[in-house]
Amino acid sequence: MAESKRDYQAMNAELAEIIDWFESDKVNLDEAIEKYEQALALIAEIEKYLKTAENKIKKINTKFGV
Amino acid sequence: MEEIVFTPTDFVAVFNQTLELAYPVVAIEGELANFRVSRNRWVYFDIKDELASVKFFGSTYLLPGPLEDGLKLRVVGSPRLHPQFGFSITFQSIQPVGEGAIKKAADLVRAKLETEGLFAPQRKRPLPEIPRRVGLITAAASAACADFIKILNERWGGVEILLADVLVQGAEAPAAIVTAVEYFEQINPLADVLVITRGGGSAEDLAAFNDERVVRAVAASRTPTLVAIGHEIDISLAELAADMRASTPTNAAQIVVPDRRHIITQHGNVQSGLQKFLLDTMSTIQINSAGNQKYLTGQVFSIFDNAKRDAAAMRKLVGVFDPRAALKRGYAIVSKGREHVRSVGQVTKGDGLNIELADGKINAIAE
Repeated sequence: MAESKRDYQAMNAELAEIIDWFESDKVNLDEAIEKYEQALALIAEIEKYLKTAENKIKKINTKFGV
Repeated sequence: MEEIVFTPTDFVAVFNQTLELAYPVVAIEGELANFRVSRNRWVYFDIKDELASVKFFGSTYLLPGPLEDGLKLRVVGSPRLHPQFGFSITFQSIQPVGEGAIKKAADLVRAKLETEGLFAPQRKRPLPEIPRRVGLITAAASAACADFIKILNERWGGVEILLADVLVQGAEAPAAIVTAVEYFEQINPLADVLVITRGGGSAEDLAAFNDERVVRAVAASRTPTLVAIGHEIDISLAELAADMRASTPTNAAQIVVPDRRHIITQHGNVQSGLQKFLLDTMSTIQINSAGNQKYLTGQVFSIFDNAKRDAAAMRKLVGVFDPRAALKRGYAIVSKGREHVRSVGQVTKGDGLNIELADGKINAIAE
């Protein structure tokens, strides 16, 4: 799997939306299966992201002070 | 030997040249006396000991905070003979010295800024849950910087760290920290959080974080601030002015980002933890005949409903919402038209019902 192009915040918001849906009264079977699969795929994608994403350190090229 | 005769102007010029060569910058330590501020811009004072007193002059901008006669100070500046006003040292930096003076100076800054409300709890802003860009102000070569980045890397990924390398102690530290905070004010986009950190040290080492200019810069930052100074006794004023404080650089990293291991474990528990909970509950229900199906369907939904009410477990619930898992274990889902049947009240005699099992659907009529 290629490195995820989306960031954690976007994926997590999507997962939260699915969980909200399950909490609502709109739950019906066909959609539930679809949403469940989406949730599992998202969790897998988030975990992949969490395991592979690295922090980037950029030193600012300015002399601070007087 | 011929005497050199100067005009006053020439003498002042030559004298200043000589001074500049011999003593371009001097540091003088002594007791503050005759401190006064003129038109909110210019500062005059003397530094004295038992036998001598030296005059100083400079800009209010360079003051570390409010000062009081009697404080022991180390003042760095350039000696100069003014054409009209005589000899004085133009100061570049002022630092209280000795634990007593440092504490006294900090108390004065604290009292002044407290009345301005700079430390008020209602000023505090929340830090972002997960930052994308972190502005880090610290000494790049310090253990504090290494600790912060190490713990951040351990806990989370995908963060851009903009590192401003500054002096964190000594006479030049306050100006350096202030310009770094100001640098982060004008970048676009702004960082999500500003972390200012250093390890522990003596009261003198940490004095920059009680400097009025630093405290004001922290309080004025548009970016939410986290100040972490590794020490255990007194909290510095910069920490009081920050939106959040941490006890050490390591602690700062723990506050700034969540721990990915924690979230991965949480996800990993999805199947095992809550499905087990559901299975345990279900195993107490007997599955025997088709006549029980309506009852069982009600039970399945009530278990789901109970689980849904448990808000704390919500995150983990995704795993147990797979309706097919329940069907495979021998449960059925009963629908009437497009609605799921959740209660006997929804069904009247003669209604057409659709019963879904793991391997297909059955149409039935309620009796």
